[in-house]
Amino acid sequence: MATFHFLDWFWLLAFIALMIGSGVRFYRLGKRSESDFFLAGRGLPWWLPASSVYATHTATDTPMWVSGVVYKFGLSGLWYTFYAAWCSISAFVSTKIFRRSLAYTQAEWQSLRFGGLSGELLRGWVAGWQVFLNMFILGWVGIAMGKVCNYLFDWPLWIGLIVFSAACAIYVLASGYWGVVMADFQQGIIAFIVIIIVSFWGVHAAGGPSMIIERLTTMGEAGKLNPFNFTGLFDGDFPVAWFVTMMFIGILGGLGMGTAIDWYPEAQRIQSAKTVKDASWSIWAGSALVIMRNGIWAVAILGFFVLYPDLTEVKDYEMAWFRLGFENLPAGMLGFFFAAIVAIHISTISTHLNLGAVYITRDLYHHYINPKATQAKLVKVGRIGTLILLLGSFVFGSIMENITEWLIFALWIMAAGVWLPGILQVIWWRFNGWGYLSAWVFNLIFSWLVVWVLPAFGVLPHLKDYQQFWLLMLLGAVVFIPVTFLTKPEDMDRLVKFYVMSRPVGWWGPVRREAIRRGLIEGGKK
Amino acid sequence: MNLFRKDWTPAEADEWTIHDTVTVIISPVIYILILVGSALAALLIPAGFAALAVGAVLFVVMVKIINPKLSATSKGYEEKQKEYLEELEKKVKWED
Repeated sequence: MATFHFLDWFWLLAFIALMIGSGVRFYRLGKRSESDFFLAGRGLPWWLPASSVYATHTATDTPMWVSGVVYKFGLSGLWYTFYAAWCSISAFVSTKIFRRSLAYTQAEWQSLRFGGLSGELLRGWVAGWQVFLNMFILGWVGIAMGKVCNYLFDWPLWIGLIVFSAACAIYVLASGYWGVVMADFQQGIIAFIVIIIVSFWGVHAAGGPSMIIERLTTMGEAGKLNPFNFTGLFDGDFPVAWFVTMMFIGILGGLGMGTAIDWYPEAQRIQSAKTVKDASWSIWAGSALVIMRNGIWAVAILGFFVLYPDLTEVKDYEMAWFRLGFENLPAGMLGFFFAAIVAIHISTISTHLNLGAVYITRDLYHHYINPKATQAKLVKVGRIGTLILLLGSFVFGSIMENITEWLIFALWIMAAGVWLPGILQVIWWRFNGWGYLSAWVFNLIFSWLVVWVLPAFGVLPHLKDYQQFWLLMLLGAVVFIPVTFLTKPEDMDRLVKFYVMSRPVGWWGPVRREAIRRGLIEGGKK
Repeated sequence: MNLFRKDWTPAEADEWTIHDTVTVIISPVIYILILVGSALAALLIPAGFAALAVGAVLFVVMVKIINPKLSATSKGYEEKQKEYLEELEKKVKWED
């Protein structure tokens, strides 16, 4: 348990006041319109969405996740966190396409790309899924904060789960995305500084870099220093097959949309950028910072491993980075560290509160219930949606036990069966709404079966995660490819409009020729 | 073929060219170098600093290749954005 002194409480209260104050300050801008409440009026320079990308993906559960994989696998474990690499390609492919569509959300994009009943079903499906998923993410990030507070102050888990998310909701309710992105900017700076300070302090506590290397070597764990410490082609904890799979998912996923769980918050940041170019660089730079942060964290976790090499329970070693800070920082700095953890926490909470609310408002209420709603009404619904998400997150948070296990499963649900269709919808004109819809529905069924149900009944062995990915991708393709060819292509008028506006890459030959024939684009070589 | 071409028209910039291909190859390599480089450099291993330096050079090269093209795409698109926004509101209405 940590003991806070006056200076610690001062840091904490000052930071919370600063964070809430800086968010609430944009109340007048946020309430102007739906576009302001959810996209900051589409007028942000690249560095604001970039800092929001970084801050959002630095959550309370993130150091636990990184600690878990690095403590167990050493620097090789960093590749588990490399899924952010989809942004390296997306910034120059799908980000541009999505920004040019002007869709508020991925759900809305589905109804631009796909028409008729399948487009509408997809919009409703993606919107509903995103409301659920944002509640779920809020719950797991919230319970991670509950664990930190339990470790620090011996508080019951529900206090950490509820108190800080509720405080964050004040400025999200007041200012919407304006509050989120402005608070994210200062939270991102605070978080980055503190991550560097605490990590280097932790490394120092372990005796410094040379001592960490020496101790790992003495312990027979020098392999943990090698990011490419393969254990064989298919065998062991870090086979080449797993690495290739992670590179494949992580990097090529950037060609599509919705190929990673993080696409959805990024999509909001992409649309809030003032130009296509700003959108591209914001996604690239924000994710580059995320990746650099993971590298710095990893070294601190190796330091922790040297100090505490015998931990076997996930719940013990996933707290590694927090323990380094709380067990080694001097009095007065503890409050600073905890305040930064609060910043890390609420930057993620604020994003998902606002992101879930945009699906409720734009895709469910505005689209299906009240298309003629005034801007004031839409902002009001946005606030009600924010409250619903907050309350739902408390329910989800209270039923989650093991963060890492849930996170891995959620990533599979999102990544495996819909990974390829997420790319095909961007690069292949013939892929239609029914194909994509079938991929979604069957992915949910297949992922539960492959990951949980069939192994529990002994029908299928417990597969390694990379094997699950390939199996789920294959099972999905067996469904969505026949469904696509057995149903009609999308209407050519819709495809031409979409092509001219968004200029997707890949196999769009017939649509491109039609757009040239109609004189909508220049007919250069392709 | 000039990889560091600066004078793009919006219509030219909308086409996929070698500049895009080179960029989507370089970009993930930079991310890998950042990840590995920052971890190894924090351990004061020389290879880490080398990886970061190569990453920085590749980043400059990537910006020089793709940024003029991105600027032209942006410029051409923003001129039409207002019209597109109006059309979007019509197109996604539930009544249509």
